[in-house]
Parts: sequence; C-alpha cells; structure tokens
Amino acid sequence: MAKPKKKKEAEKQAAEKKPEPVKGEVLREILRDWRVLLLIILVVLSLASIFPHVENSKVTTALQFGLDLQGGSWLQMSFGSEVVGFTSQRAAEDLADALNKRLDAEVSLVGPGQLEIRKPFPRDELEQAFSAENATLTTYEPGVSRATADDIKRILEQKINTLGTKDARVNLLTPVGTNVVRYVRVELAGVDINTAKSIVGKQGLFEIRIRTVGNETEHVIFGNAITSVGNPQQDPTRMSWGVPFTLSEEGAAAFREAANKNGAVTSPEAHPISMLLDNITVFSAPLAPELAKELLTQSVQRLSASTGSGTIGMNQAQNLEIHLRAGALPVDVQVANFGQVSAPLGEYFKLMCFIAGSLALLTVGLVIYIRYREPAIVFPMVATNFAEVIILLGIARFIQQLDLASLAALIAVVGTGIDQLVVITDEVLHEGRVPSPALYQKRLSRALAIIMVAAGTVIFAMLPLALMDLSTLRGFAIITILGVLIGVFITRPAYGKIIMVILSKKN
Amino acid sequence: MDWFSYDINRYTSPRMVAIPLAIFVLSLIVIGMTYSSTGLPIKPGMDFTGGTAVTIATNDSEASIQNYFAGFPLEPITRDVTSTLYLLKFTTMSADQNQQLIDKINARYPDASVDYIDETFGQTLQGQALIALLFSFIGMAAVVFIAFRTFIPSIAVVSCAFIDMVGTAAGMTLLGIPLTLPTTAALLMLIGYSVDSDILLTMRVLKRQGKLEDKLAGAFRTGMIMTSTTLAAVLSLWIVSSLAQIEIIKYMAAVLFVGLLLDIMNTWITNAALLKWYVERKGS
Repeated sequence: MAKPKKKKEAEKQAAEKKPEPVKGEVLREILRDWRVLLLIILVVLSLASIFPHVENSKVTTALQFGLDLQGGSWLQMSFGSEVVGFTSQRAAEDLADALNKRLDAEVSLVGPGQLEIRKPFPRDELEQAFSAENATLTTYEPGVSRATADDIKRILEQKINTLGTKDARVNLLTPVGTNVVRYVRVELAGVDINTAKSIVGKQGLFEIRIRTVGNETEHVIFGNAITSVGNPQQDPTRMSWGVPFTLSEEGAAAFREAANKNGAVTSPEAHPISMLLDNITVFSAPLAPELAKELLTQSVQRLSASTGSGTIGMNQAQNLEIHLRAGALPVDVQVANFGQVSAPLGEYFKLMCFIAGSLALLTVGLVIYIRYREPAIVFPMVATNFAEVIILLGIARFIQQLDLASLAALIAVVGTGIDQLVVITDEVLHEGRVPSPALYQKRLSRALAIIMVAAGTVIFAMLPLALMDLSTLRGFAIITILGVLIGVFITRPAYGKIIMVILSKKN
Repeated sequence: MDWFSYDINRYTSPRMVAIPLAIFVLSLIVIGMTYSSTGLPIKPGMDFTGGTAVTIATNDSEASIQNYFAGFPLEPITRDVTSTLYLLKFTTMSADQNQQLIDKINARYPDASVDYIDETFGQTLQGQALIALLFSFIGMAAVVFIAFRTFIPSIAVVSCAFIDMVGTAAGMTLLGIPLTLPTTAALLMLIGYSVDSDILLTMRVLKRQGKLEDKLAGAFRTGMIMTSTTLAAVLSLWIVSSLAQIEIIKYMAAVLFVGLLLDIMNTWITNAALLKWYVERKGS
C-alpha cells in the first residue's frame, strides 16, 4: 500500500503544476492510478467471465440462473430419523443394540456419545426409552448424520444421473451450529415436478410378476433379489434398447420356477413378465424365445429387459434402470417443500428483472443529475455504479446461482451503491470547490469512514441469512454482502480518485 | 435538491418529535393487534403457514379457473392487470389431495409454476426467520456501538432503526404484505440500510468542526440525496414487478420503500433531535 500512495502524491503534485490541462490529460492521469486500473481490469475480466454472446439468435451469458429463472423443479425433503446425544455408564455399542430392540428401529453409533435412530420418534418417547436402558438423553435433533446424508446424496445423484439431466444439484442442508443434516434439496433444471418427484421422492418397492391365467398375475421376486443393474445398452443387431441386470441365485431359481410352472417357457406370449414399482407396472414383456428355451433346462442369473428402439426405447431404458435399482434410501423421507417453474415463465421473469435493473440504473442516474446538474460528476458516478454491477455479476458467476431474490439484491445494490458515491462527492465538495490535496485526502478518508461503518452494518445485518443453510434466501444475502464489499474495496476508492482529478482540473 | 431547506430548529423541536412518536405508538397498536390474532407481529404468509402457490399464464376467465379447482382450498385469486398471469394460493391440504392438485394443474396448465410448503417446514422457517431478524439487529447494533464508542449517539441510531422496523411491520400489515422469506430478507436489508443516513448524520455532527446548524443542514442535503437514489431504485423495481406480477420482488420492493420513507422521518426528526440534545448538553 505504501508505494502506490507515494506515487499518487507525486502524481497529484505533477498535476497541480500544470496550469492549463486538456481533456486527454485528465483521462491519462485518471488511468495512471492503480485503483482505477484495478477497477478497469476487473470490469474487463468480469465481462470475459460473464461472456455475453449470441447463440441461436438469442443473447446468452455464462451466468448461472436459479430454477425460478430458467425453469425446472425442486424438492426438499426432511428425514424420518434423528441424531441424539447421550450419557451412560454402558458401552455405547451395547446401548445401541439394546435400543435397537426396544425401539424396533435401526440404531447406530455415529460419533462419540451420539446415536442415529432411523425412525421418527418424539423427544419424550426417546427420553423414556433411554432411561429404561440406564442412559440419559442429552441432545435431540431431527435429521441424519453426515455419513448417512452423504449416502443419501450419492443414491439421489445416481438416480438423477441415469436420467441424463444436464443441470441437477443435490444439496444437503445443515442448520448452523450442528453436524446433523436436516434436509436434502434436489434441484432439476428443465423437468416438471411430477417427473422430479417420481425420480427422487419415494423409495420404490420393486417386484417382478408373471401372468398366470386371464389377467391374473403371480408374484415372482422382489427387488432384493436383484444384485446388480447395468447401464442401458443397445442391441447391435436388433437396435433395441435394454437394461441388463443380475439376479441372486435364489432369485434366479424362483424366476425359473415361476416361468416353468406357468408355461411361460413354452408359450411366452401368453405369460408376459411384468415389473412393478410400488404396484405400478413400469415394464411388461414376454420372455425372449432364446431365454425361454434356456430356462427349460437351467436357471439364468444374467437377464436383460428390452424396451424397444429409438429415442422412446432409450428413454424408457433409462427410467427402467432407475426403477430396477429401486433407489432405496436408508431412511424414510418426507417432502417439506417442492415446486416448479416453467421455462417460459422463467424467461419472462428474467426479462422483467433486466428491465427493472435498467430502469433502476436510469432513474438513479436521473436523480443524481437533478442534484448535481453537472455531467462531469454524474457520468463518472453512474459509470462507477455500472462497473460495480458488472464486477458483482462477474464474481457471482462463479459462486452463486442468480435467482429472483438475488436479482432484487443486485438492483438494491444499484440504489445503495450510488449513495456512497454521493457521500464521497459531498464530503469532498464541502464548502466550495476544490480542496488542497492534503485536505482532499482528509475528507476522502472521512467519507470512507462513513462508508465503512455503513457497509459494516449491512454486512452484519445480512450475515445470519448468509450463514443459515435452511433458507433459500442465501443468494440474496451473498449478493448483498458481495456488492457491499466490492463497493468498499474496489469501486469507491477508484471513484474517489476519479472525482478528485476531474474536480481539480475543472477549476 | 435545493428547493427545500432544512431548518434544524424547526424540525427537531419537541412538537415535531411528537409526529414520529405518534406514528410509533400507532404502529405498536397495529402490531399488537396483528400479534393477538396471528401470534406474530406481521401476518405470516404461505412460506410460514404452509400451502401451495400457483402461477398460471392463461387466457381462461377467472370463473373458469375457480370452477376447475373447485373442491380445493383455493384462496381469492389475484390477477395481473396487464398480462394474463394469475396467482392462485391454496391453504394446506392432505398429501393425496395435494398430489391430485399438482396432477390437475399439470394436465391443463403444463407451464404453471408451483411452490408447495409443508406446514411443519413452514414453522421451522418461521423460527429461523425470527432468529435471523434478531441476530441481524444485534449485529447492526454492535457495529454502530463499536464505530461511535459513545453511548447516547449510538443508542439514538439503534433506536431509530428499531422504530423504523416497528413502523415498517405496521405498514406491511396495513398494506396487506405478508411476512414471507423474501419480505424477511427485505427487512434484514432494511436493518442494514436504514442506519446509513443515521451514520452519516452522526459522523458529520460528531466528527466535523463548525456550527451545529450547518453540519445538520449539510448532512441533510447529502442524506436526502442518498435516500432518494435508493428510493428511486426501489420504486422502479416495484413498478416493474407489479406490472409483471412478480410477487416476490413486488413485496420486497414495497417493504424497502415503506421502511426508507419512515427512515427519512426518523433520521431527520427523531435522531437529529436526540443528537442535538446530546451535543448541546455536552457543550453547556
């Protein structure tokens, strides 16, 4: 910091010696200041990172938009499970076993003095159970341990990935000050809520049945007989899509027995095999002739369900794969919040936000003009304000999805950012026109002191929202804080320099 | 904005202070009445009570929509004046009925936007929002006290922010703006921004040399332009979002607008009067 300051002093003195400055000189002097240079470099970098370009005759950028602006659906779920702290003289594993039997629920040790109980119980019921087992319950929090949550996240991601959705997120939400994960939030772009729900919302009961007589069917095996599921594959000769899967030995035996008993091996068309997820048929087809023949003599563990050719067949295969995996989560989940926004509506909101933002910038510029009536002051002010927005977007592109609320924060930054420029201008202009460099410096630092305190109050007021993982308004807080920080450290010091040079040359 | 001047002796006289005081008392009464009926100082919206909000873009008539969703707990429909956007709100219903609703919506209006909040989740969010408001206020107050390190000026700034919040809460009730996650965020932002002009005022009065009247008048000039730029930005946000029926932003902008208007009064009457009293007492 020391060097540039000295340089600035020198510059200032050099500037003062010149009696009749010309416009180009003003510009050159402004551009020589490191704060102004930093501002310009950041604006250029930000523009590059936002990368506005035309694609399919539409303006596109690299900005990430939230679901409410790009269309898609989200699903937030809580867990039918709790993590409790306890104290006891007994060995922890021993206590977990005893509670397991008493509560008829999966109880596991997840940390020192911490148990995860995978069934929903109210606190008082658990307190009773613990005291009956000579232990004391000390803490109670609904949710799952980090390890379990990571498992859940993996399973959900797997289900989503197989669908091939390009823009999907699974986030775990943990309240501040605990290590217990309270919610899992799934966001899927370009998918409606019913599809999203069917993908992630429930644990499936998978079953294979066979048609016996008429429309009657009979149970063959459940999903637990399936040991592995492969990725959808296209048969090179028939071009049809299919999902390979493997049955356990017992499962394969049961499958063969059912096929033989009902005559599917001899007349496959009359006895199709169906796959059901939660009692809804997701797939139904007769045995392939080769398989029917093979099942006459022996049981077969490696099977494949064929869904047909083309895009439809491929999509069906992808869905079937998820169903075959049945995606059972380790704990029950309950939907806390879900929603969908259609792509056209999101597009409309985006456009409206752009209009609102532009209008805000314009009206703010107008108010400033009415106050100062001096283009040499108004233009740098509005330009600085605009630079602030560009830099904010440039940084936000890497850390924050822009949703409706964060765009509102962005527009508020336009309104409040210029406040601080007003403070600087008025402080510097106080009583008459141009102060001496020493006085200018004093006044600028006094203005910056006001700005620092004001920035501090905003940052601290927004901090709870930025830290609280439960809230969907994190983006709003992050954009506000980021905007204030950029203003305090980058754009306002640069503006202080710009306005000083302009004012000193004007007189 | 030179067309009206600020005369400290006129604006900070005890008689002038009676106006913000009366508004404060009235606000407390409004809040008290809301509290006694809802258990919260501001009527909670769907985010906190649970329910389903649906936005539909359609040329169908309101009656036709009413008819289509007959049997579901539909609240009065709000409609956009300029375009064909409808906002529908349903109170809480069973999971089965809710699924039926979603299916029905997607069958006729596949481009609808839907937002469902579970009742228990809403309560959790409500608790979180109140905690956020509390900590936000404490954080702001801490910054103010650290910055000024003198009790009376600091407490003056913090009380003005508090009076702003109380007035805004009452204003929300009167304008029918519910307390939701977005309006909570707007209130948090207001906590941070409403003290801006108070800080400017206090800094100018305490740290500058000169006549008190001049310092106050100078601070007023700067402070008014600051607040008016923010008001201008917020107003344009409100106009566009009202026309476009973006409820989230419309409510946020309205809350900020009401809060900042109240802040003008509280800064330049209440806070200025307290500060004047403090400086004169110290001087004598």
